[in-house]
Amino acid sequence: MKEDKDKNTVEKIAEVIGVNKPTSRRRFLIGSAIVAGAVYGSSVLYRQINIAEDNNGNKRVVILKNAKGVLVSDPTRCVGCRRCELACTEFNDGRSSPTLSRIKVARNLNYGPQAVQLGFRRGHGKFGDFLVIQDMCKQCPHPVPCATACPYDAIEAKPPLNARVVNTEKCVGCEICQRACPWDMISFDEEADKATKCTLCDGNPQCVEACPTGSLRYVPWRDLTKDFHPRQAGMLAVTEECDICH
Amino acid sequence: MAKVGGWRGKTLRVNLTTGEITSEDTLEKYKDYLGGTGIGYKVLWDEVPVGTRAFAAENMLVFGVGPLAGTGAPSNSRTAVTTIWPLTDPDTFVGSGHMGGHFAAELKFAGWDSIIIEGKAEHPVWLSIEDDKVKLKDARHLWGSGIYRTTAEINAEMGPTAQIAAIGPAGENMVPLSVVINGYCHSAGGVGGVMGSKNLKAVAVKGSGSVNIAADQKDWKELIQYALTLIGSNNQHVVPSTPQPWAEYYDPGSRWTASKGVYWGAANPPVETGFCNPHDVHKIGLRCHKGVKDFGKDFGGTYTVRMGGCYACPIRCFAQIDYPPLEGKYGYSRYIANTCMGWFSPRQVFHEFPEGPEGELKAREAMVLGSHLVNDLGIWDNYALMQKVFNYAATHGMLEKILPADEYKSIPWELWEKGDPAFLLDFYRRIAYKEGVLGKDLGDSTLKTMKKWQIPEDFYKKFKWKYWKMGHPLHHSVEDSGQIGALINMQYNRDSQNHSHTNFQNSGLPIEIQKKLAAKVWGSPDAVDEKGHWTPMNRYKAKAAKWASIRKELHDSLSLCNWMYPWVASPLKERNYEGDTALEAKYFSLATGIEVTEEELDLYAERIFNLHRALTIMEMNTRDMRDQHDTAPDWVFEEGPEPFTPGSNRFPREDIEKAKDYFYEVCGWNKEGLPTRETLERLGLKDVADRLEKAGLLG
Repeated sequence: MKEDKDKNTVEKIAEVIGVNKPTSRRRFLIGSAIVAGAVYGSSVLYRQINIAEDNNGNKRVVILKNAKGVLVSDPTRCVGCRRCELACTEFNDGRSSPTLSRIKVARNLNYGPQAVQLGFRRGHGKFGDFLVIQDMCKQCPHPVPCATACPYDAIEAKPPLNARVVNTEKCVGCEICQRACPWDMISFDEEADKATKCTLCDGNPQCVEACPTGSLRYVPWRDLTKDFHPRQAGMLAVTEECDICH
Repeated sequence: MAKVGGWRGKTLRVNLTTGEITSEDTLEKYKDYLGGTGIGYKVLWDEVPVGTRAFAAENMLVFGVGPLAGTGAPSNSRTAVTTIWPLTDPDTFVGSGHMGGHFAAELKFAGWDSIIIEGKAEHPVWLSIEDDKVKLKDARHLWGSGIYRTTAEINAEMGPTAQIAAIGPAGENMVPLSVVINGYCHSAGGVGGVMGSKNLKAVAVKGSGSVNIAADQKDWKELIQYALTLIGSNNQHVVPSTPQPWAEYYDPGSRWTASKGVYWGAANPPVETGFCNPHDVHKIGLRCHKGVKDFGKDFGGTYTVRMGGCYACPIRCFAQIDYPPLEGKYGYSRYIANTCMGWFSPRQVFHEFPEGPEGELKAREAMVLGSHLVNDLGIWDNYALMQKVFNYAATHGMLEKILPADEYKSIPWELWEKGDPAFLLDFYRRIAYKEGVLGKDLGDSTLKTMKKWQIPEDFYKKFKWKYWKMGHPLHHSVEDSGQIGALINMQYNRDSQNHSHTNFQNSGLPIEIQKKLAAKVWGSPDAVDEKGHWTPMNRYKAKAAKWASIRKELHDSLSLCNWMYPWVASPLKERNYEGDTALEAKYFSLATGIEVTEEELDLYAERIFNLHRALTIMEMNTRDMRDQHDTAPDWVFEEGPEPFTPGSNRFPREDIEKAKDYFYEVCGWNKEGLPTRETLERLGLKDVADRLEKAGLLG
């Protein structure tokens, strides 16, 4: 069996990428590590991957439909009050939690996306030129990195908007989608032990509604993935040959 | 009981002497005091002996945060830093500095409600709080660094999202006039030296947790949205500063400065603030253009990048300025943010600036450069009183006699005379490093310096913000709110830090409407006078003064901003401009799950206010609080036209005495200003009554 064969390598990868979960999660880790391998970028493993199948040998679900809407921002108008983060979690989850928020401002607030480094005075954020960058899910077109990475097909296009949404029934909390998103946009709900991401609030995004400067907008979908520099390097969540999937 | 929201349930206690780090149950120990100043006063009352001096190791330092910090209740994330205040003489009185920013919210996300710090570390340390992981770390490599660099170094270690409250060289050197600053420019005045005396360079917090809202999320959202319809601009000014199509009234003094043609001019592309109809929630954040308010339309409109401010506050009162010459001329970053006194105090170091546009520009340059210097060195201005004392002594040729000849000569007076902002580089360095007599004295308790330099008591006559008492200036006193302002300014051992009264007095609404609103809250239209048209004291004003006082403590304890709350007025014509004074109770009920009415929550506030009073009485050690502590300066009685004539801010002595009578009466204090046992027991402060009685100080 593949699982047995790959066991040692798989555990090694799990260790390297830091998915060191308790033993109870080992089973799904084993299955998911084929994708993790891709994330890690190991060319040897890469050849062994068959991401066309899930770990039960079933054909993978592939998201081909584009989302209908997407969030865009004008950082020039963002004042860093973080009411969007609050609206996201207080009105969806009943608690205030920036790490849970699916719109991410806190991490760029002080120093901008480049974080603190020499010359930060000329970077963004409160300690730089004051520009506050809001990070939102780009509702990626195919191949959707988070969905493709998920070994359980737990990230689905939810009609009617086709927002890329975590199906909490299927999610096992392995956090691989978090590592797969090039923009680092997947949050993790520690209380539920599940991944969570922007759902576009069924077409009425709480963050947009809450923004006191009109810095956020909800607009018809367009491909933003080329416009934003990835926060994570070396992402490789899909194979080069798409024909092996579909 | 259902899950309690708001609070995280744990209070952190750090003993710097032993290095011991422990956790306490917030609800069990401090629930009756909410948090913020409440927990600060409680800790000082229980644990710090009477007579303890500010810089003694026995002094304690409480970073008090309340149940609403980190929630979506608008304008929260205030941290009250309560300690024995180093600026009175003797330095044994309770006081607190307050800072906004994102620190309080982050502390909550890390799982802590407040931090209690005791003892003194052997060598410089900083406190690292990463959720449950709390450590004291060596800060010897940071000692001597400015606040900017310290913050960046710690962020490099902890990650960019950590919120860091640090002191600069001024705090390290135990300059009494020093601050702790978080997030670039959010400072808590007067407490930097206490941190320095404890060898505590910084407190850094990073949290990954949540603040729970006990109520259903739909109800919470409804309340927040309702609140956001009532919010005004900064200081809850509810009318714009210029005539605008949507507005029935306007007031040039209003901080609702947005308008057509008023820009964040240094944004790329520039952002026009425009008309901000109160019904447009997506323009709330544009209402307050503090750059224009503080610098004037030309400079402020041109160099403002955006408005910044605190966590969860849609009203942005910190102007973020991009002024390129700061870099080329002075070697500081061209980007600088601050608000109010942070800008005005450096300017007041100078006697005058050259006439015309050149001088105008120099004055503004002094504001932005000075702001960098005090932010980085960590110097406080005592609400600009320190600058005024220097200004007075320098213009009256007193310093030549006060300072040793060598020191006097070493001061670049030619820069000062020309109004050259570069003077500030020298000036603030002397204070931060206690250089010479000038540096040491100016950084000291202003009261001591005034005595030492023999500054005449009426020196403040030419200034708008005058001296009040105990080494501090007025903070919205008689000139702002008549007898109510006087009563409020008497209560504290520092400037009163209270905006409950001034926010309403200066809402910008016509007096007829103000009177109607006052009648609803305090029972009579006579509770408020038109500004500058003061009428003799009455009982309703005393009621309003008590209300304003306890609400100040309520806000500082819940972690709401007293610069924004309470909301007697709102911008909504359809509500007849009525605000909602029960908002705090509504937030508290839904967030914590502990259902309270407005009156019930005010009891918490009154308890906290009385505990501050008791602490002050114990230090004063006199039954005559009325004449020994609750005093107004002579100018209140002597300066200006006949009392109760239009434009006069002068009051007869007997009127102010009557104000005290009424105030003590509504507070349940005796004629000497001492709380009675009945009052204290009504507030659940039996132990306080017992101790006061034992000391012979019970009313």
